[in-house]
Amino acid sequence: MESNNANEFNNAKKYVLDNELASIVNISMKLEMPLLLKGEPGTGKTMLAHAIAETLAMPLIVLNVKSSMKLVEALYQYDTLTRLNDSRFGDSSRDVSNIDDYIKMGKIGQAFCADKRTVLLIDEIDKADTDFQDDMLDVLDQMQFDIIETDKTVKAIHRPVIIITSNAKKDLSDPFLGRCNFHHIAFPDPKMMRKIIRVHFEDIDEKLAENAIDSFYSLREIDAIEKKPATRELINWIRALNADPDFRAKDLVKGKMPFLGVLFKKSPDYERAQNLTSRRKLF
Amino acid sequence: MFLKFFYTLKEVGIPVSPTSFLTLQKALHQGIINSLDEFYTCARSILVKSEKYFDLYDQVFAHHFEGVPLPEDGGFEMDEIARGMLDEWLKNPKQVADALGMDEEKLKKMSPEELIEYFKKRLKDQDGRHDGGGKWIGTGGYSPVGHSGHHPGGMRVGGESRNKSAVKVANERRYKDYSTKGPLTQARIGEALKRLRNLIPAGPRDMINIDETIYETMRNAGEIELVFDRALKDRLKIILAIDNGGWSMDPYIQVVQTLFDYARSQFKEVKTYFFHNTIYDCLWEDTARYKKPKNIMEFSRIDPDTRLIVLGDASMAPYELMASDGSIHISERSGRPSLEQLKFLADTFSHAVWLNPVQESMWGYTHTIMAISKIFPMFELSLDGLEKAVEKLMVKN
Repeated sequence: MESNNANEFNNAKKYVLDNELASIVNISMKLEMPLLLKGEPGTGKTMLAHAIAETLAMPLIVLNVKSSMKLVEALYQYDTLTRLNDSRFGDSSRDVSNIDDYIKMGKIGQAFCADKRTVLLIDEIDKADTDFQDDMLDVLDQMQFDIIETDKTVKAIHRPVIIITSNAKKDLSDPFLGRCNFHHIAFPDPKMMRKIIRVHFEDIDEKLAENAIDSFYSLREIDAIEKKPATRELINWIRALNADPDFRAKDLVKGKMPFLGVLFKKSPDYERAQNLTSRRKLF
Repeated sequence: MFLKFFYTLKEVGIPVSPTSFLTLQKALHQGIINSLDEFYTCARSILVKSEKYFDLYDQVFAHHFEGVPLPEDGGFEMDEIARGMLDEWLKNPKQVADALGMDEEKLKKMSPEELIEYFKKRLKDQDGRHDGGGKWIGTGGYSPVGHSGHHPGGMRVGGESRNKSAVKVANERRYKDYSTKGPLTQARIGEALKRLRNLIPAGPRDMINIDETIYETMRNAGEIELVFDRALKDRLKIILAIDNGGWSMDPYIQVVQTLFDYARSQFKEVKTYFFHNTIYDCLWEDTARYKKPKNIMEFSRIDPDTRLIVLGDASMAPYELMASDGSIHISERSGRPSLEQLKFLADTFSHAVWLNPVQESMWGYTHTIMAISKIFPMFELSLDGLEKAVEKLMVKN
């Protein structure tokens, strides 16, 4: 029973977990299926993978997907340039006739070859094109891939726990979705948010936290904002407020909002928020 | 197990696959799922692959495990309205009772469920005859007001406790905002913008990719191998024609204008024109449709690659569209019926769409909508519709 418990995901130090999410993570691990996480940017999708790795004491391997990425790059790389160099000048310990010496494992390859179970985070999968996504799922399904140059097959020694995140820039293809479990991280409600803030700032002034969260939610209410501030922005904002010696928690209630730039990253959004908050001061 | 649940999900339009159902069975057999709460979350994560459908899932779940009736034919909306009325009733019983022509005392004795049923019945009776409705009927947005401090009977409606059961959670319909149906609102601008981002043209493959070329050449053992990329083309020009005539359009004009305002940098040029109901001889640059007219014929001189987006409800009297003197404004009667002018625009700009805030399911009932949708590809002004419209605008001819 004990060993079983060690493999279950409960809670981490820096991450506030709701029960719903915990049971989804556990079930994905038991079904050995990748877990696809969607949600507003800054709601802690990436943080979750870090938290899982921390609680399960597994190494975390992060694959940051880029728009131009090809699947091979994530699996392995054949370093042709070095080989050409070695064949010309031959001043290294590598054996030019042995191609294996020039194969470097990519992130997925590393996860497969690791000598203990790892957490593999595939971050922002939606940036890549659909071919990449489908091909990758094939590899993750079979837990193996071929190195064409040497005609060898790399098999996963331990099946990694796979977390995939998406910002929903593009819709993912149906076969892709079919092979994952899905969860959408909703924006935390104020109660949850208070917990999150407390985890991040252990000795924060009660009043400051309360006022900051209140004003944060009212700022989120502003209409026609392109990028609403999320948890990440709130945490940075509170950090900024804390660092400012002139700032007092009372100011927020009066409608004085310093450092709005921390919350609103797009200039039309910023101007809009600025206008609305300064107008409120007049009343 | 749960076959019926699975098929109900399919029936309401959630794309569930048999494979995922088998996965769910596997999970059940392994004994991972031990309670209804767990079943709720796990079945959702396995079966439902997009937050768009979370709301529908919640409704089906509540129906299947609690017997909450599934709203009948198109009654999803009706449900909303009835709930909105209940909220309103809690706040101001007298006004609602008066509006319905009912005795306040009599309504007071009903339980919330009875009230909802009663409201729904009333709404059905009113269908068709009651134009526009009293302003308390719903569109004002429904907030989870909940505690019934004001309810004459002192009943708690939608009370809150932290430890919710799955059925209760499902009943709350937390994911309503994520469903992509329904007209665009200011709150969804961000999502809508993402749909618009695809309005970027791509040129032919005629730019050399040097890194890739070096890599491929190496792989080819030194034999030169050229790799080409698509060149970026010039940005698009957009013409936005907006019907700002009747009050029915008012809520959407702002939304669409903000939308294109934000996206402005993405385009080479965004020009906005206005018209009333349909297009005759002119489009106007000023919102009052008075000072700066621009003759339709002049549009033939504009780059035909410009994307034309028309926003309007396309609902009017048939003669306004068909008759040669259909315009309300006397100065506009050149003798060409609006239908012809619209065809002229559609011919001039090969990429044109019509966005309509009227729900797609209602289009068949309005003659002019059908007529115009034969000329312009018409899409609903919702996230889904916008996505399809963008697709249409980017089709290569």
